[in-house]
Amino acid sequence: MLRLRFHGRGGQGAKVASRVLGTAAFLDGYNAQDFPLYGAEKRGAPITAFTRISRENIMERGVISEPDIVIVMDETLLSDPQAMPLSGLKKGGIIFVNTPNSPLETKERYNIADHVITLDITKISLDMIGNPVLSGLAAAVASRIVGIGEDAFRGAVEKELSGIISDRELLVKNTEAALYCYNAIMPVQIKTAESIREGENVITIPFEIALVSSPAINATGNTPLRRTGNWRVFRPVWDYEVCTRCMTCVARCPDGCIHVNEDGYPYADYDNCKGCLICVEECPAKAINKVREMHSRSGEGDR
Amino acid sequence: MDTATIRSIRELPAEENMLPGTPACAGCGGLLTLRHCLKALGEKIVIVNAAGCFTLLSIYPFTPFKNSWLYTAMACAPAGAQGVRDALDILIKKGKIEPEEDLKVVVLTGDGSAYDMALSSTSGAIYRNLDFYYICYDNEAYGNTGFQHSGATPFASRTATTPPGRTRPVGSQLQKKNLFDIWNSHRPPYLATISPAYPVDLMNKFRKAEQFKGPKLFISHTPCPPGWGFDPSNSVRLAKLSVETGLWPLKESVHGKVEHTFVPKKFKPVEDYLKEQEKFAHLFKPVRQEDTLKSMQEMVNGYWRRYKLLP
Amino acid sequence: MGKEMLTGNGAAAWGVRLAEVDYIPAYPITPQTEIIETIAKWISEGSMDASFVTMDSEHSMVTAAGAASATGVRVFTTTSSQGLLYGFEMLYTVAGWRVPLVMVNVSRGLSSPITLGPDHNDILALRDTGFLQIHCETCQEVLDSILMAYKLAEDERVLLPVMVNMDGFYLSFTRENVEIPDVGTVRSFLSEYQPEHAFFKAGQPMAQGVAVLGGEFYSYFKYQMHLASQNALDVYKEVCGEFEKKFDRKYGTIEEYMLEDAEYVLVMTNSFSTLGKAAVKRAREKGIKAGLLRLRVLRPFPDPDIKNALKGKKAVAVIDQNISVGKGGIIYSEIGGCLFNEKNRPLLLSFIGGLGGKNISQEEFEFIFDKIVSAVDTEIVEPPYLLYTENEWKDMTKLKETAGKE
Repeated sequence: MLRLRFHGRGGQGAKVASRVLGTAAFLDGYNAQDFPLYGAEKRGAPITAFTRISRENIMERGVISEPDIVIVMDETLLSDPQAMPLSGLKKGGIIFVNTPNSPLETKERYNIADHVITLDITKISLDMIGNPVLSGLAAAVASRIVGIGEDAFRGAVEKELSGIISDRELLVKNTEAALYCYNAIMPVQIKTAESIREGENVITIPFEIALVSSPAINATGNTPLRRTGNWRVFRPVWDYEVCTRCMTCVARCPDGCIHVNEDGYPYADYDNCKGCLICVEECPAKAINKVREMHSRSGEGDR
Repeated sequence: MDTATIRSIRELPAEENMLPGTPACAGCGGLLTLRHCLKALGEKIVIVNAAGCFTLLSIYPFTPFKNSWLYTAMACAPAGAQGVRDALDILIKKGKIEPEEDLKVVVLTGDGSAYDMALSSTSGAIYRNLDFYYICYDNEAYGNTGFQHSGATPFASRTATTPPGRTRPVGSQLQKKNLFDIWNSHRPPYLATISPAYPVDLMNKFRKAEQFKGPKLFISHTPCPPGWGFDPSNSVRLAKLSVETGLWPLKESVHGKVEHTFVPKKFKPVEDYLKEQEKFAHLFKPVRQEDTLKSMQEMVNGYWRRYKLLP
Repeated sequence: MGKEMLTGNGAAAWGVRLAEVDYIPAYPITPQTEIIETIAKWISEGSMDASFVTMDSEHSMVTAAGAASATGVRVFTTTSSQGLLYGFEMLYTVAGWRVPLVMVNVSRGLSSPITLGPDHNDILALRDTGFLQIHCETCQEVLDSILMAYKLAEDERVLLPVMVNMDGFYLSFTRENVEIPDVGTVRSFLSEYQPEHAFFKAGQPMAQGVAVLGGEFYSYFKYQMHLASQNALDVYKEVCGEFEKKFDRKYGTIEEYMLEDAEYVLVMTNSFSTLGKAAVKRAREKGIKAGLLRLRVLRPFPDPDIKNALKGKKAVAVIDQNISVGKGGIIYSEIGGCLFNEKNRPLLLSFIGGLGGKNISQEEFEFIFDKIVSAVDTEIVEPPYLLYTENEWKDMTKLKETAGKE
């Protein structure tokens, strides 16, 4: 059995990618299972989706904690302490990363020892489709890696995407871009070792009084511990030469992530800023720039 | 609470009573509304929440609030507010807590609760003249479950349960309920519409409401990036457009007497607002639904004509 | 105070008054309404210092009650049947808040068909919510159980809400002798509620009833409720001990009637237990070694006490005044689960009767004893039996004719 885990951001298409792969495997005669993991997080937050593919009946359910293959649809997730896309990857497993960099560069940058495959599917989608919707493209890469036939894959893309894209022309573009990605990757012989389960003890939990055990929170204002800054694809960066200190950005931030320094200039709490960029859109002086997250240095734009 | 009227966003209180790190979507118009409401209300409040997107603001063990919170269920946040308010009054009267431990009770619900399931409990609380605040963040559908049709969904909107199709090219065929008038028929001491794009108007309304004992009710029109289908950076722009086109009138009612607090000097065409959103894309492509667009503009014109405010 | 003639509803109101409850959100429904009317009258005339508010539904009523309890006051509310089901969502919710709300349910059969007479499908629908349940046989017990319920619910080893149950009509509207304790003695038994875990005040903000995502976290909270409920068995016994000292009336999780040397046992709950006791007496006169076990506490389920009481018995007939459609009697299943691992467990027979307030006649009790005795002789246990008499069938036939049925 092959177990794949897709990592993306809400809205990027990880769920659909897992479905396209599932359908492709199904059309190619395999048993398959696919499902997303729903949490509280909304659009922009890191999300995961899963596909299992097997010749045998699949006797597993639920989250894949030890995948054979990881599909990383957003490179920034690799350095995210919460998303941790590589966690549990089996020895001999494969990592696909959506990046313009080579596998070697990627391995060095993120200190990865396992087999890395890369392709800039964001660029391909922007060039061929016109917007960064990565579902079909990520599924293409995954399908090719696991060795699913081209006909089955094409059938799966058309079947799954036609359900969500009503525009005929856009559907064709998506299919073409997906097939382009499919053919840009080589199939891989996957030789992962079955992992050895670490044992865990079943315990008897003790009674705790309601002061401890009721579903109430006695702490206040502790959500900043969640660090939603990892949702961001672009960060707002202020140009203090242009900024008029008008406070518009401060008033417009839904999350209250923009503060004012002692000189009256605004700055962002990048630990929590989700990167909605309302501040960029609303700044009357056009003093806030949108900077792609991976290209910015941490601390840039801070006070 | 400071009750002085403010004139510009520079005068908004700097204190943040809701901290970042919530699971709300990037660019959430409801969250921006709430942030300003909490600046107005201060820390000494208890939010009584109904099922909706904002249920997820407090997920064990995290809360963004400096204030207290009680999650109830979808139909009954105003009833929860009744219990909390009455209990606080009893505790103070019987000397079991000091008067300075008192809290303002604030109901927080989405439109699914406010317009549909909680109408009975809301009507009851207003009718009983419960001393509370009510904030409805209205994103015009059941947003938390993936944007299904609600009583707040406007005519011609695509939702997950009113998908435009061959037999139903318009999408939703029903008109949005008029919750303002439903509530206003109870003659509450204070009732207002607000918008996250107009925080000064919002702040001044809360400050005005402060003087009244009894229900103080607020409905905010809150753009929803994933549900409406637009880039999160446009959230405030869309909130502004809904006001500037006349679709979302900013108004207040004191004991039933309605006044508009902002009337656009020149109304923008409704189409300017509609064409920015995926949920109305079917009105423009593949064929332009001219009659539908005209009727939507006419509905807005009709509203302002009734108040003799259409230039 | 001395003795008075009180209905079950009147006794409930007295319990609430003596517990010096702070807050009563209410909503009317037959046959409960007399309770809230009595309390409203006392508050109006000034003999009871509490706040009363008529809500817009039972759903709102339970919410307001739970929310007030979560704010830190002592709260009472009451309902019945359809009302209990209308508020059902909030019963689970409020139990999960771990607040010591006390409610009375006046049992009444559930629609459809809509009816007025009692059975226990309403209260038993609640058995998995986290509410503790005390079931009453007499009007005196209703009053006493409310006082005990607050002491039990507010104990920090428990902190779960309690539902006190009485049968509609047979207790709710029936007057009998009730001893009303004096308020001073009640105060010495039940001290003021001072919450440490759930309250709202400006100085100590708290987020209550928050969402929990992830099965491992959800399980923790649910298990804790279960452990607290299990604790309640011991705490309840302490409460009973103190109650007996103060008021000289003895209660247990179960009541044993002529049980010690009995071989054939009826298991019953609530007001019809009185009829069961009479039937046991008659059976004894005929030489049948009969006895009765009445379940008073149904949640937590007093497994050890039941096992102990039924040890060595030849056969047990559970009379369920409820029907789990497609399965049978609910309490039969629970007793079965309780006894299954016992060595030399008795034969267990199931009878369903008294639905919608239908009488259980002397002949039906005799029928039950015949079945028990013959089961022991033949070692054959027949399937669950739906109690119904020939006269009742004749009456029903007439009604069907009048209704135009062929």
